[in-house]
Parts: sequence; structure tokens; C-alpha cells
Amino acid sequence: MPDATKTDAIVREIHIDARPETVFGFFTERDKLTRWLASEATLDPRPGGINHQTHPGGPDNPGGPYLMRGEFVEVEPPTRVVFTWGFENPEVDVDPGASTVEVTLEPEHGGTRLRLVHSGLPHSELASHSDGWTEMLERLAAAVEGRSRGT
Amino acid sequence: MQSAFEAIATPRRRDILRLVHTEELTAGAIAANFGDVSRPAISQHLRVLREAGLIRERREGTRRLYSADTGGLDALREYLERFWDERLETLKTEAEQEERNDGNA
Repeated sequence: MPDATKTDAIVREIHIDARPETVFGFFTERDKLTRWLASEATLDPRPGGINHQTHPGGPDNPGGPYLMRGEFVEVEPPTRVVFTWGFENPEVDVDPGASTVEVTLEPEHGGTRLRLVHSGLPHSELASHSDGWTEMLERLAAAVEGRSRGT
Repeated sequence: MQSAFEAIATPRRRDILRLVHTEELTAGAIAANFGDVSRPAISQHLRVLREAGLIRERREGTRRLYSADTGGLDALREYLERFWDERLETLKTEAEQEERNDGNA
């Protein structure tokens, strides 16, 4: 289980006018996941199965493409799916297995209340700590320069 | 609004960030560290860094003091928050479309 006390989790909730059964597939089926989350994906939706995704670079993420290398932890259709979230790219400060995305789907007004909790992310204390700060700066700089050299 | 990524793409601005990380300095004191850079150029760099949320400006009498805003450096987190906001909006659109297609099938 992720230790939510040591990190600041990102929590998002959204209502979707589609049944949980419909929404669930968008996390476990390749053809559906690539419609919203990633440009490519390899998914084996069972506990311990791989969840690999490619996220293209963009104006806000100059180091892309980002190679997400996760693993499914819990797969309980159509209410709950949990997978680890981390990147092969060294400049991203989230290593494979380091963070966890927990998705719960509950029926709501004929649709779904989706709650996403992304925990295990580096704490902002890292940035205020002197060494972490300098390190982060260098890593960001390397990512930016890597892009300008590459294009 | 400049992104933190763009703001630190310039080596000089990273030098400035290192200077104001340990102490609060005036633009003049910052400029004194760079003999080859004009004072207006330093002011411009400070403006970009401030807009990117990487430094704070504080007035003390007639002086303006600059220091690193380390919270602004949490670019990864900011990026991920935007990432999930945007992705989930797309998921909503796609799942609702899928639901309608199922209904018509």
C-alpha cells in the first residue's frame, strides 16, 4: 500500500455519463487506453501484470516521449483498478514502481463518479532541501537541453 | 506566463537561481556577480524567473529583494496535476462516446 502520509497525493474526482462497466475498460484495454491516456500501451490487467505506456512529448514536457513502466496491483472490474506509475526516463523523478495510481469507480446518477489518487510522488520538501533543489534544477536543465540538441 | 522549463533553459538564469537560493539579494547585488551582463538584462532575467514562479520578490523600503521560490520548482508535480486534469477530461469525452455507441449497437 502506498504511504500517503509521506507524500502529497494528487487527488482528482470527476463525473462521467457512462456506466462504471464502460469506464473500467479505458484502464485495462489497450485500444481504449490509447484513446485518452497514452499513445501506445501494453497491458496485462491482472495483479502483477505489466502496464506499459508511452506518453508523447509536448510543449510542457520537453523530455518526452516518456516511457511509463507500471504494473497492475489490483484489478476489480468494474469498481477498482490500481497500478504503479514510474518512468524509464532518468530525468523524471519518479522511478518505475515508485508511485501508485488508484482509481475507484462508483455508480452515480446513472453514470460514474471516478476518483483518482496518485500517491508516492516526490514530496515538495525535496525541492526545498538544498541538494535536492540543485539536483532538480540540473535535471530539468538537462531535459530542456536534451530537447534542444535533439531537434 | 513562462513555464519553469523555459525559464531555466538559459544558463544565466540558472546561475541567478543558485545565487538567490542561499540568500536574498537585490538586483544590484545579483548583477555584481556577472561583470559581463547589463543591469537591464538582469532585470529581464529576474522578471522571467518571477513569472515562472521560481523566485519571489519582496520590498523592503525602496529596495527589492529576490529569493528562490523553491515551491515553484516542483515542476513535476505541477506537470502531473495538469496532465491528470487534461487526460481525465479526455477520458470523460471518450467514455461517454463509447456509452452512446453501446446504446446504439
